[in-house]
Amino acid sequence: MNTNYQIALDHDGKSIWKFLLSELKPKGKFFTPFNIISIPVMILGLALIVYRFIYGIGSITNLTQDTPWGLWIGFDVVTGVAFAGGAYVLTFMVYILNMQKYHSIVRVTVLNGFLAYVFYAGALLLDLGRPWHVVNPIIGNSFGVSSVLFLVAWHFLLYMIAQLIEFSPAIAEWLGARRAHKILSGMTIAAVIFGITLSTLHQSGLGALYLMAKDKIHPLWYSEFIPVMFFVSSIFAGLSMVIFEGSISHKVFFSQISEKHHKEQNYIIRGLSKICAGTMFAYFFLKLLVFIHEQHWDLLNTPMGYWYLLEMFGFVLLPMMLFFYSYRTNNISMVKIAAILTMLGVILNRLNVTVIGFRWDMAIRYIPSWMEFIVTLAVIFTEIWIFRWVINRMPVLRDSPSWVNEPK
Amino acid sequence: MDGFSYSNIFETKGIEYLVIIAFLVLLIPFWIVLNKQSRMTKQIQSALGVLSAKILRIPQGLFYFRNHTWMYMEKTGVAKIGLDDLLIHLTGKVKFSTIKSSGEMISKGDLLAVIAQNGKLLRIFSPVSGTITDTNSMLNESNGELMEDPYGKGWIYKIKPSNWIAETKSCYFAEEATDWSAKELERFKDFLARTMRNYTPETAMIIMQDGGEICDHSLSALPDEIWNDFQREFLNPDQLQMPAK
Repeated sequence: MNTNYQIALDHDGKSIWKFLLSELKPKGKFFTPFNIISIPVMILGLALIVYRFIYGIGSITNLTQDTPWGLWIGFDVVTGVAFAGGAYVLTFMVYILNMQKYHSIVRVTVLNGFLAYVFYAGALLLDLGRPWHVVNPIIGNSFGVSSVLFLVAWHFLLYMIAQLIEFSPAIAEWLGARRAHKILSGMTIAAVIFGITLSTLHQSGLGALYLMAKDKIHPLWYSEFIPVMFFVSSIFAGLSMVIFEGSISHKVFFSQISEKHHKEQNYIIRGLSKICAGTMFAYFFLKLLVFIHEQHWDLLNTPMGYWYLLEMFGFVLLPMMLFFYSYRTNNISMVKIAAILTMLGVILNRLNVTVIGFRWDMAIRYIPSWMEFIVTLAVIFTEIWIFRWVINRMPVLRDSPSWVNEPK
Repeated sequence: MDGFSYSNIFETKGIEYLVIIAFLVLLIPFWIVLNKQSRMTKQIQSALGVLSAKILRIPQGLFYFRNHTWMYMEKTGVAKIGLDDLLIHLTGKVKFSTIKSSGEMISKGDLLAVIAQNGKLLRIFSPVSGTITDTNSMLNESNGELMEDPYGKGWIYKIKPSNWIAETKSCYFAEEATDWSAKELERFKDFLARTMRNYTPETAMIIMQDGGEICDHSLSALPDEIWNDFQREFLNPDQLQMPAK
């Protein structure tokens, strides 16, 4: 697979281009099951996106004037950003709380977070009637300061830059750029702190987008505390995604990971399950408090009420107990099951607020069209392709080249 | 404004405070139970125990040979031979069979005894030459003495040595013996790390990572092939010839 090659020591111009060209070539087998499934989906998704921009959003989605935000925003943007929360939680744990045992997974999680924000902010463009206006909050052609979207736009931009800076030492190592690596490594802690500060607000900011829709969201999911709920749930959503994606990457990129990191894997997963258990315990009580505060107990005895109870007990309390139990009994497979249940719960919660509980009382409910699903899948697959491309070339899962730790 | 409704937020304040208090009260046992060391791991740890140099018994007045046997010269001129504590701790409970009997002449390096556990064997070779005057019949019935008191009641042979001054030149004695035992334990950990790689993956339970302490009776869970390797590296007669460090 990847041997430790020493490329351009410092850019001398010629060899860096040859190197980059050679890196563009695919590595590994081409006809894997994943490739066979994802390539048609991606091509079809691309075609649908082109069609959407020619003929308008109504041509491929079921969005209407009454439900202008559908699957793309509810799932790609809102849920995707919740899952990318692993980056800020993990960098907080490693750089601020100094829990060095998680250090080996920081890079891959930051990469994941960066790609998630890039792709899901990109998916946001699909929903805009005038996509070229997306730069307005930045450049000031009508900032839009009265909308939470102003905050979301700025935060996404700044957070992507912060993530890129955090990840850039890996790029510098890949290119062999030692001086750049030194400069960028020095900026890491500043980028981390900045990123964490941003995250706390835009995770809740995405929830705040729905504060204005008081009459449109089912009372069991609407409260003035949606932002707080979104923020707290992004903690364990992100960590569950780290567990889930880490388990998959561990198997797929097995050959890259050093012996030491193999042994650490279970230890790390177990530690994360403890944090998830604690956070979900607090989250459950927060939800309970909000439920009591909103005084909608009579709604529990309705179909939507049962759905609410399912989400609370089946997808918050149950995985919390599974995390708790698997931490105590050191059962790694149960941690992974709990992580999947948690992720389903977060997806459910976000979709309940944005799509399912949104205008739940309309005569004709909004149901996403198959084309929306294809585009969503295409976005996710493209993100995974880029993720795989980076992992196969840059020192994310494998160890950094030896010159990194030389005395400067 | 459409959909405007007024709800009295103070109605539920009482319950909300109670829920918060309940949360804090439940948080304490939640956190304690989450962090408690589970009973199972505690049991395993106490049952197996951790084998470190500190717990080895090394009476200072004995001659220790490199194949983990000891010799004690009594006033009568007859020497007692036995197995040292490190070997017993590594193997755990074994069945002991004597090969030689009273009156037989043996030379240094002759097969003296065999210890067995579930079909796995280790051969003990004689550290000195001489005439066997006595064998410990108690050992053939129960091996409790060997385990508990390897230097006292757990002696395996009494020998009248013929050349013990020359043959004990390469022995360890007193503080040297303590140091040597600690070094042998480290050598055993290295040995395990080396051989484990060649054999089975399930033995990983025994070793804690990064050169930590190994569990007591490590060899008892390991297969035949490792016992043979152990025999070759730690107990064979060529060990007896090597000069003392």
